Amino acid sequence: MIVFASALTFFFVNLAPGGPASIMRFDVSPEQREALIRLMGLDRPVPERYVEWLASALRGDLGTSLLTNEPVITRIGDRLPNTLTLAGSALLLSIIAGIPIGVVQAVRRGKPIDHLLSLVTAVGLSVPVFWLGIVLILLFAVSLHVLPSAGVTAAGSDTFADRLAHLALPALALATTILPTVVRFTRSSTIEVLHEDYVRTATSKGLRPFTVLTRHALRNALIPVVSAIGALVPRLIGGTVVTEQVFGWPGMGRLALEAAQGRDYPLVTGLTVVVAAIAVLASLLVDIAYTRIDPRLRLT
Amino acid sequence: MSRLGVGALIVLGLVALLALAGPVLWTIAPETTDPLHGLAGPSALHPLGTDELGRDMLSRLLHGSRVTLLVGVAAMLAAILIGVFVGAIAGFRGGWIDGVLMRFTDAMLAVPAFFFILVVITVLGPGVATLILVIGALSWMPVARVVYGETLRWKTAEFVVAAVSLGASGPRLLLRHILPQVIPSLIVSATLGVAFAILTESAVSYLGLGVQPPLPSWGNMLQRAQLYVFTAPALAIYPGLAITVVVLAFNFLGDGLRDALDPRRRR
Amino acid sequence: MFFRRPLAIPALALVGLLLVSACTGAAQPGASTAPSAQGAPVAGGTVTIPIGADPTLNPWSPNAFVESLFINRAIFEGLTKPGKDLAPAPDLAESWTTAADGLSWTFKLRSGVKWSDGNPFSADDVAFTFNDIVLKPDLGAQNRASYAAVKTVTVVDPNTVRFDLSRKFAALPSFLAYNAGILPKHVLSANPLTTTSFNKGVPVSTGPYKVEKYTSGQSVSLVRNDNYFGSKGYLDKVVFTVVPDPNTQIAQALSGDITIMILDNKAAVDRVKTASGLSVVSRPLVQYYWLALNQTDPRFTDVRVRQAFVYAIDRQAIIKSVELGYGSIANSPITPALAAYYDPSLASKYPYDPTKAKDLLTQAGWKADANGVMQKDGKPFQFTMDVGQRGVLEPVNALIQQDLKKVGVIADLNTMEWNSYIQKDVVRREYSATVNWWTYPSDPDVFPYYHSSAAGKGFNIPGYQDPKLDDLLVQGQSASDLESRKAVYKQLQAYTSETLPYLFLWYPQEIDVVSTQLKGVPELGLRDAMHYLGEWWLAKK
Repeated sequence: MIVFASALTFFFVNLAPGGPASIMRFDVSPEQREALIRLMGLDRPVPERYVEWLASALRGDLGTSLLTNEPVITRIGDRLPNTLTLAGSALLLSIIAGIPIGVVQAVRRGKPIDHLLSLVTAVGLSVPVFWLGIVLILLFAVSLHVLPSAGVTAAGSDTFADRLAHLALPALALATTILPTVVRFTRSSTIEVLHEDYVRTATSKGLRPFTVLTRHALRNALIPVVSAIGALVPRLIGGTVVTEQVFGWPGMGRLALEAAQGRDYPLVTGLTVVVAAIAVLASLLVDIAYTRIDPRLRLT
Repeated sequence: MSRLGVGALIVLGLVALLALAGPVLWTIAPETTDPLHGLAGPSALHPLGTDELGRDMLSRLLHGSRVTLLVGVAAMLAAILIGVFVGAIAGFRGGWIDGVLMRFTDAMLAVPAFFFILVVITVLGPGVATLILVIGALSWMPVARVVYGETLRWKTAEFVVAAVSLGASGPRLLLRHILPQVIPSLIVSATLGVAFAILTESAVSYLGLGVQPPLPSWGNMLQRAQLYVFTAPALAIYPGLAITVVVLAFNFLGDGLRDALDPRRRR
Repeated sequence: MFFRRPLAIPALALVGLLLVSACTGAAQPGASTAPSAQGAPVAGGTVTIPIGADPTLNPWSPNAFVESLFINRAIFEGLTKPGKDLAPAPDLAESWTTAADGLSWTFKLRSGVKWSDGNPFSADDVAFTFNDIVLKPDLGAQNRASYAAVKTVTVVDPNTVRFDLSRKFAALPSFLAYNAGILPKHVLSANPLTTTSFNKGVPVSTGPYKVEKYTSGQSVSLVRNDNYFGSKGYLDKVVFTVVPDPNTQIAQALSGDITIMILDNKAAVDRVKTASGLSVVSRPLVQYYWLALNQTDPRFTDVRVRQAFVYAIDRQAIIKSVELGYGSIANSPITPALAAYYDPSLASKYPYDPTKAKDLLTQAGWKADANGVMQKDGKPFQFTMDVGQRGVLEPVNALIQQDLKKVGVIADLNTMEWNSYIQKDVVRREYSATVNWWTYPSDPDVFPYYHSSAAGKGFNIPGYQDPKLDDLLVQGQSASDLESRKAVYKQLQAYTSETLPYLFLWYPQEIDVVSTQLKGVPELGLRDAMHYLGEWWLAKK
């Protein structure tokens, strides 16, 4: 599947009008352009270039970025940890905040708190993430001066607290792309479970509601939530593109945008491979977690 | 249907009305510039003020609603078309077709949609048609899943079995008997699909790859408005609010419909 | 007319200052400027400057875009640098003369200059930079086209180089001040343009500051170069942070994280002005915006049509709404920043006059139909303007479209992503009309953009060919002394404003946002001011 994705991307990107940004400058003369095209090997046919790329990719070499002459792996490697940090934090935030909220909603179903949280969740689902980002920056960084407005660390220092402060707003903004869904899933799943016979049995046996909840119900309620979270990971990764743009976060999302606009063919293809690999990995992890949590599946 | 759902339906009805009738009744053109009166506040002539080039905000919002809703609905229709096709055939035929199609659906689901939207639009060039195609091509999977599940469910229903015994088979069976049962879930998916399409359109237009100026859409209005967020936040607030309200309404509508149509959830 | 009053006075003062200092040489690099009322410079402090993306630390690499300019100008010194009056000032070269026949320039290099790694600098490095990098066509070095007239660089002795030319090139010293840093032969001789440990890491340079650390996607920090030949810089550190989003740059400036930056998004200027600790200043730019009407389209070859368009476009309104008033109307390719050459008498030409525009169109054979649309031979005056998505081009085109509509000309807008736009309009020249800008070195030599030889594939985008204009351009290149050059370029300005090879729109100004603590920065555009990094200092709070 990864190979398929890479082939698709390679051919597709090379079809794009224009060329690498270094030759698409207003102040480049035709001779310069020709020289650069020859230097970058772009005068050879596309299928030939793809085969060459694939051969070296299988050996682990994803080629050289056309716009910086660095190996593609290095460029992606520079940015990958940042995106993983961002996405990971957003995911963590969504799980830590989302699940409890969903549970609370389920337990207090129909009550005002449920309606209120539903409303908030729905709004969170509907707000464009880049708009939210700008609003957050204006509020926390410019007006209140509480949190920094961009980047991973401050220019001069690099302490953990510093990094955390820089991570706060982008992670929060990114989390809103999946948190509402996590909440909803948890809520509906918990509601269903709470209606199950065994829960009623446990309650009628005289167990305290809290124990019923945590010991019996939650375990089962969380199973579909886990698979739902797995399904949300691609959306999270996609959301990093815009979030990184708004917050100046040096991650893969921004790199992808630059690479696409700059027609850096090897980099775009390399990024596709990496992103596809991450998606595959994530779904694999979710499958594993799924089998762990749901004893019924262990035998398959 | 819940009150919230009904409320959402009313809101959307209003929005549709505004989108259809608004530009006809409010005759100021959205692209007429008046640079010496840019960034003006609300006035009799311009109830919502003007943008940075002196264009009437109300007119741009009304015309923009047409474009945004068009892209949203059309992309959703594309997604539904593809999704129904894939899901119904997989569910109906079963066997290796089922396996292949659903594996493909799963694979597509694992793909971070936004990345690919970026690449494709860079290749094909920005524009309304491309946008509709691309958003549709990357959001059909949940529809396919739903249709697949429903098709499987209804395939074994009594009346279907009865129809088969009476000689009905193949596409006729699918179209005449099974698919109509799937329509309620489809409607739910459709409303949520429009919500997703509108949000995606605004994000892509924000990056400059979506609906191209001078054609206004709520998404690309936000792109220019970003530059004025310090001096004239209203420019960003109106389209942002519009998107949020409409998407919210579609979400509530979808929820309301789902609750109303799902027998298990009926209280 | 619509000039912001508070700006008119300092702008005039600036022009006046430039005129007065036009003929004097610039100060020696490294020497401190007279402190005047700012107090005495103190050492210490860190200055933070935002850039839009990861820079490429090599001025000749084709991958060095706008974000790389600032650092490259600061660390890679050239033979000359922009003087405080924009005339070329000594940098690595102390003095220069041209031969009697004008076919060579000899530069006497400063002695005792060392690279940041301690190795000595010499004429070999200059010869290497030009002969082995710039003038080698296969390497595709940036700005190569500017040196088309240079045949080779000859080392006369370790401290003297001679540029041998194929034709007279009076502007060479100015061009050498424009993104033309010298590169070290002992480091790059094997691989001049693609050594990533240099371009994307820690390069070897001659300026008062050198690169300390390069963190991709985040920042590049500079510290003092202990091997610098001049006096030590005052600042301890200069950090360039990578902030791609202009709004985020502003937000950072407002929260005090940035010391100086160019305000690309002029719309925020009012907000920034209200912030304490920041001041907003306007700076001269050698740049002008133009509308190119493709001369292969017969409708546009009639000069009356071109003039009609200029009358029809309300340029002052564009300046007011898009540049927030920071700009002035342009009627020739020479910008006011080139004070020695600029002819202010042309500034009031082509005032906004749609009626006059319609008259001229009628004279050119166009007739308005019932709807007011101009027609000729049964066809309406309609064409497509390609709009590149960058900077202010989108709103400007929207305004021009509306202005043209009012005189019966229908301009459809085709907005394109930048890369595709370049492919179509520049590489393939498949366009009818398009708006863009030129930025060029601080010299009036605009030959590459106007000469008939540059039509078609060169930088003469409209493809305008006129032997009289060609003649003036060549004269300007050949004239050797200031007075004769001034005369030629005065003629050129008058001629181009009449014939309109490009439709001149406006000269923008640069707005800089500066922390009130930062002193010692010359009143030049930020790119030019980077050459004086050694003179910047931070006052204590």
